[in-house]
Order: sequence, then structure tokens, then C-alpha cells
Amino acid sequence: MSHTEAAETFADRVRAIPGGEHLEMCYSCGTCVSKCMIQQKIEPEYNPRRLLRLVMMGLEEEAFQSPTTWLCSECDLCYPACPQEIHISGVISAIRQLAIEVGYESPLDTVSVDEAKCSGCGICVMVCPYEAPHLIEKEIDGQMDRVSEVDPNICRGCGTCVAACPLGAIAREGVSNAEIYKQIKIKKQNGVPRLVVFVCDWCLRADDDVTLLESYPENVRVIHIPCSGRIDPEMALRALRSGIDGVLVCGCAPGECHFKRGTQVSSCKIDLLNRVFDQMNMNDGRVRFAQIGTQDRGRIRGEVDGMLEHLVAWKEAR
Amino acid sequence: MVDAARHPKVDVRTYTEVERVEGFVGNFKVQLRQKSRYVRADRCNGCGECALVCPIEVPNYFDMNLSPRKAIDVAMSQSVPLLYNIDRDACIECYKCVDACGKLEAIDFGIEDELVWEDIGSIIVATGYNHFDPSVIPEYGYGRFPNVVTAMEIERLANSAGPTAGNLIRPSDGVAPKSLAIINCVGSRDKRFNPGCSNFCCMYGIKNAILLKQAHPEMEISIYYMDIRTPSKGYEEFYDRARQMGVRFIQGRPSLITEDPETRNLYISSEDLALGSVIEQEYDVVMLNQAAVPQPDVDAVSSVLNISQSPGGWFMEYHPKLRPMDCPTDGIFLAGACQGVKDIPASVAQGSAAAARAGRVLHSDEWEIEPVVAVVWEDRCISADGKKCGLCSKACPYGAIEYEQGKAAKVVTAKCHGCGGCVAECPHNAITQMHFTDAQILAQIRALLADRPEEKILAFRCNWCSYPGADLAGTSHFDYSSNERGMRVMCVARLDADFIYEAFRLGAGAVLCSGCHPQDCHYITGQPVGAKRVNRLMKQFDKMEMTPSRFRIEWISAAEGDKYARVINEMQEALDAIPKEELLDEIERLRPEMEKRARRMKEAPQVEEALEFADRLTAAMLESKAEVAE
Repeated sequence: MSHTEAAETFADRVRAIPGGEHLEMCYSCGTCVSKCMIQQKIEPEYNPRRLLRLVMMGLEEEAFQSPTTWLCSECDLCYPACPQEIHISGVISAIRQLAIEVGYESPLDTVSVDEAKCSGCGICVMVCPYEAPHLIEKEIDGQMDRVSEVDPNICRGCGTCVAACPLGAIAREGVSNAEIYKQIKIKKQNGVPRLVVFVCDWCLRADDDVTLLESYPENVRVIHIPCSGRIDPEMALRALRSGIDGVLVCGCAPGECHFKRGTQVSSCKIDLLNRVFDQMNMNDGRVRFAQIGTQDRGRIRGEVDGMLEHLVAWKEAR
Repeated sequence: MVDAARHPKVDVRTYTEVERVEGFVGNFKVQLRQKSRYVRADRCNGCGECALVCPIEVPNYFDMNLSPRKAIDVAMSQSVPLLYNIDRDACIECYKCVDACGKLEAIDFGIEDELVWEDIGSIIVATGYNHFDPSVIPEYGYGRFPNVVTAMEIERLANSAGPTAGNLIRPSDGVAPKSLAIINCVGSRDKRFNPGCSNFCCMYGIKNAILLKQAHPEMEISIYYMDIRTPSKGYEEFYDRARQMGVRFIQGRPSLITEDPETRNLYISSEDLALGSVIEQEYDVVMLNQAAVPQPDVDAVSSVLNISQSPGGWFMEYHPKLRPMDCPTDGIFLAGACQGVKDIPASVAQGSAAAARAGRVLHSDEWEIEPVVAVVWEDRCISADGKKCGLCSKACPYGAIEYEQGKAAKVVTAKCHGCGGCVAECPHNAITQMHFTDAQILAQIRALLADRPEEKILAFRCNWCSYPGADLAGTSHFDYSSNERGMRVMCVARLDADFIYEAFRLGAGAVLCSGCHPQDCHYITGQPVGAKRVNRLMKQFDKMEMTPSRFRIEWISAAEGDKYARVINEMQEALDAIPKEELLDEIERLRPEMEKRARRMKEAPQVEEALEFADRLTAAMLESKAEVAE
């Protein structure tokens, strides 16, 4: 009897990358697909179960071209729910790594650094959940300078670095500072409290909740951001300065953030802001942060209504 | 059940626990604890006056705690025997029940637990299974969302003798549900909780769907499943019937249940595999078809009965295919789900088989066992000299060795299965295994290595896995090195370190120790006992700087003929890779060391002595048998 080595398959190559193991255990129950919100929210073709299937069937090109390979944000909501204990995002990362090796590029909208403004402070390197930015030495205008460079194949476009950059040197198309500031405007109405709601794209699971939020009258301005990590305290300050009464920021619950830890970063920022207000004796609960979990269907109504009530009371007290 | 209780030869003891089991097949002594009911069985006529006056209500566990019962009550209305029982944890001792009982004087708070010893011929274990608690799965919200219920709760809510008299209502508002979702595989086929399939839930879910659809044709019923498993006779037809009745089957495992805070309706989000897209559906009630898990007290039961458990906590059968109703311990039999999850027809079949097996014990005067049992050489056992030892007793997976300091260890022959673990474990050669004595095994080793030993690969194979594995390699015509010399032992546990020292002393080129895979050991824990010993040897040989490839340990099952051939060929290749002179030098270098380590062997009885002992033993056995006959 001969014991010849079998040829290495595509699945073997994925498995060989740390994190890519156990993909053969998938029995296609679909838990990961429905746990993830990418299919519902942005890309109907997104389907981790099918991607694993493509790998098992050796359909390499199809796997590299699949939107699933590029859209997964490694939030790992699916991992603890998988009955076969497959680390799905690890497998997807392994596929992505192989795709990048053969020359595929991420199709996502990513951030860009304005090298003339960048001081090379490295704050973006610290806040990025994906280790996409790193500092490099580069010649700019004839001088060697230290600047940040973002790997477009790793960046998922959450915007946490955009909010964190003290010089405004990083921008992402569609959600740059200027574009968001433009939206912080509410017409003045007599006696009606004005509220800005920043809501991340992922914390409202149910379509009903999104519709509900959009159905509030004009005095509630809803601004969509890719992740609550995109929140810059300056946005809240600008709103308050322009005469708006309150700011509500909605993000995912801790551990459920679509971009790993954007929700922690922003909750720290809002906490810090409120502490500054405390020291100035002006903390009157007008800037709030709500962390909405996957099972908190309908909670957004309570949060917005509660905030509006609070603002009415605050206005009367003044 | 009523028939069984009435049968003159059946003695039903409810509310009774097995405390201790001693003895062996056909001769068990069992201690039973008849727990006190505080109600005299001979006086209570089951009128129920006491329950009427009892002021204390406790949750009724038979109704899944959906309804109350009194602190004095029967377990359920069909209880056999129909005896009332006081829940002393809840009772406030107002004695109203005593007054209500009146002249019957059946209630007596002074009754204590009763311990009795019984002579038992054979034991059947039929302790069943328990339900998985789905509240540990956060995404399904059981325990937080009132309208997420378990299958057993639906069972009681839909039962005409249940708390709602058969009117199915939803717990949040008492309204009849218009739509119901059944989720299969809750806690089963899920590596986080129970990796195995729970066997009957597919059919059980379909049964519930059909029953509810019959009673409420307007109700929308959906079943979420990963795979529908309907393998037995008539099951597929049953599944078809549910489809014909309009039950909706959705392939896709739900990942999340959310609740509308106002209507308390539930939303299930899952992928519909047929559509390939995520769907979110609204339901009034969600039923979780929870997994079957072992009873919480399986560990206690297995230690009382000295029976082992398979991974997962089910009781271990003698052989999964050929003897599924037998325990490895003779005289103890398994019936139903305690051995592994099974549905009603399979449980009935296994129960009947176990009863027939048990009957065979009860009707025989003699019990035949394999002749390869262990026997103690009493004058060599140091325990007889008052020294502390007991290693043999610890190594026995069957509890067949009675050890008491000051007396020679005693093997209960009827319990011994002949693995030989105790024989290898005994540091004083005081135990031997019939037909596998040290002398016999050493004689075989010497014969196999008589000629050009440095070219030979000596392979120890266990009787149940590796020996048949090698057989399969032969019958399948797999080529493997002709330098291999196979030797049978009953179990790797029988492998005395001395055998391996002796093989190397004689100059064996290489030695293989092979046995069953850890979970497949024929002797329950023989493989781990043997594995520990040979792994220790591996370390010693490393220290002696022996070429590592000359000693190998492999677990090879009866189905792995190819693996056996591969392992032998690899060993041959490794042996060929050592230059002949170097190999001979190494053998010479290690010979004194091996001889020193195998010092115990010098004391080992020689073949003649062993044969003489065996004769003496056979005579003694015949004598004792004659005594029993008298």
C-alpha cells in the first residue's frame, strides 16, 4: 500500500494560517449569517457560511472576489454563537491574507492621510482597532518627516482615527468633519427642545427601530456615522454652541461593537466631556451616550423620548 | 405501571435510593434507603383530604412549575403507588393534615428514612435523562422573555390534565397564541454545550407541531431546523404529514431572538438557507426544543454501582454495537436514555433486551467467564505481612480486588475481566494472570528475539484493538516489514516495564507498544494505566540516550490496519537509518542498564513454578466449586 501525500488544497492553505483552522467543521446552519448585520444593512451577497463553502470546494477566485472576504469587520459576534466553535472571522482574515498575497485589493472606502497636516504623533496608531495605520519616515517637501500611513487593505473605514486625530489630518469620504458639521443644524422652534442624535450604522438591528428614529419631527436631527468611535467631543460642543439643547450618541453595547472597540473609545470620550462639564459646573445631562445591545429591540424610543423629556424639564428649570 | 405494581413477583419501591452495592453478578447485596414520606403507605387510602386543608403551596415540578401544588400531595395524579408525601422543606408543621386525616392516622411526622439490605441477582439501570436548561444560551432569551418557553412547558400547557386544562396560552398575557415557532437543537449539536445529537427532538418537535395544528388549525407553526433527522420506520411519513398539514419548515439556525417591549411578541432572526438570505419573523410564542442531557446525579450513581461513563456523562455500555444493554460490570444492565439518548421504541427495545439479559443471570446456577483472570500468590503479597500497598486494587477498573492491610489481596474472580493491569502494577510479582503469566510472556519474548534480535521489531498488541488491527493489515494485504514480531497481551495495562527492559536487554532493534485509543479501551481504564507506564519508560529511555525511534507508542484501533502497516514500516525505515555498528554498540551500551532496571525479573517465578502454581490453583477452584454445590 502506498502512502502518497495528497496535493495541498485551497482549504489546506487557509487552514495553515493561524486563525484559519476548523473551517471544515462548518455544517452550514446559517447562525453566523443572521448574527451578522452586514447582509441586512449593506450587502445582500454577504454570507460567511457560503464563503467557507467556497473554500471547502476549492473555489479560490470566487472566494477572493466574494464581498464577504472584504466586508467582515472581525467584530466576532458570530464566534460565540457558532455551534461548531469556528472562529469565522479568523478564517475570513486568512482568506483575505491569501487574496492580498496574490494581488487583490480591498474595495472598501478607507481613510486617507493628509501628509502636509500630519505631525506623526501616533494617536491614530493607538486608537485603530485593526492596526491599519503605522508611522513611516518619508521625504515631504524636501525634508525627512515622520507621518502616518494607513494600509488600505487592513482599514475598515470605521473612522475612529478620523475622530481622534488632533490636527484633522485624516479623513474618510462621506464622513469627514466638514460633512458632519454641516448636518448639525436644526431650525429654531418656540419652546420645542432641539436634539441631535448621532447613531452608528450597526446598533439598531431592527428595521422598525431605524424607521422609528427617522419618523421623529424636525426638532430631532439624526446623523448617521459608521461607528460611534467616529464621535469627536467637538461635534457635541459645536451643537451646544449653535443653540441645540441636547446631544444623544447611540452605539453598540460593549463587546458587540461592529468595529471591535469603537463603542468603548466613544464612551470614554463622552465620559470625559461630561467630567469637564462637571468641573465647569454645567453638567446638566445634555450630552448622553446610549449603548444599545443586540437584544434591545425598541429601546431607542425610550432613549430619545427620555432625552426629550429631560430637555423640556431642563428648559423649564432655566 | 399499575399492572407491574399488582404483579405478585414485582416489588415497586418508589421514593427509594440505592445507597450501596456490594458483591458481584448473581450475588449482589444492595442497601436501599426508603425515604420517609411521613405518610404510612399501609394506612393512606389516597382520599386527598390532607392536600385540601394544607395551607402551603409550592411550585408543581411535574407541571414545570407552571402551577401550584400543596406541601402534602402526590407527585402526579397517575402516581403508582398513589401515596401522599410531605415536602418537609416547605411544610410549616401546622398539622392541619393530621387533623384532616382523622381516624386513619396515616400521617406521622416521626417516620424516619429506612435502610434495608436486599439480595439482588442482577441490576438494571434505567435512570433516564434530564432536560438541558436553555437559560444559559443568552441569544434565545429564555428566562428573560416570558413567551420563550421550553418544549416541556408547551407539553404541560397543551395537556388536558395540565395547569390550563389544555388551553394553550402564552405566559405574558394569557392570550391564545396565533403563531408559534419551534427551534430545534437548543443545546444539542452545539459544541458550547453538548456536541451530540439529542436523537428524538426532530420527531418530538414534529409531534408537537402536528398535535397543536390538529387542535388549532388556524395557528401558524414554523419549525427552525439545521437538519431534520427522521431515520426510523414511519418517521419520514410523519414528517410528510406535518408538511401536508401546513407546518412551515425553515432550514436555518436562529441566531437571535428579540422581544417587542410593548406587544411582547418575539422576533427570530435566522438565515433561510433555501433563500440564502437573513429573515426576521414575528411570533407570539417560541418553543425551544431543548437537548437531552444526563441526569444531574450520574456521578453518584456510577460510583455507587461502580460503572463507568462515556464522554458526555451517559453510562458506558460493554460494546456500542454488540452489547449495548450490558455494563462492563457483569450483572448490571442498562436500559433507555441513561446509556445514551434514544426515543421510545429504542428505549423499549433496549429495556426488553436488558430484562432478558437480567433473567439469564437469575436463571443460571453457574456464570461462565473468560479464563484469563488474575490470581494472587498469597505468600508473596506484602500486605499479608502487614505492609501498606493496595496498588493492585487501585489499578483494577472493576473493583474486583479486595484489599485490606494485614491480609493478602483477594481477587473476586467473578468480577475480574482479565486485563492484567494489577499484575503489571504489583511490585512484588504477587499477582499473576492465568494464561498470561510473566513466565509465559518472557518465554515468548525470548523466543521471538532468539535469532538476530537487532533486526527485529517487537510489537506488543492489545487483544481488542491493535491485534485485530494487525490482523486487518494482513487480511487487507497491506505490505509491512517482515521483521515485525507481534505479541498479544490482553491490554496494554498488562505491559510490565520489565518486558520492555528484557526485550532491549536481549538486543531488540525496536519495540512498539500498541493498544486501543484512550476512549475505546475494552477494560474501561486499562489504556490510561498502561499509557502512563509506557510513557514513563519513554522518558527513561530518553535519559539513557537511546535512539528515540527504537521505542514507539501508538494507539491503533481494530479498523486501522493501514495505520498498523504504516507504523511498522516507519519503524523499519527508522531502524534501517541507524548504521549497524552504531546500533550494536548502543545495544551493548544499554544492556547492563536494562539488566539493572529489570531486577524485579530475577525474582519472577519461572515457568515450572508458574505451572505448578496454576495446577494448585485449578485444584483449589474445583474444590471450592464442590463446596458451593454441597
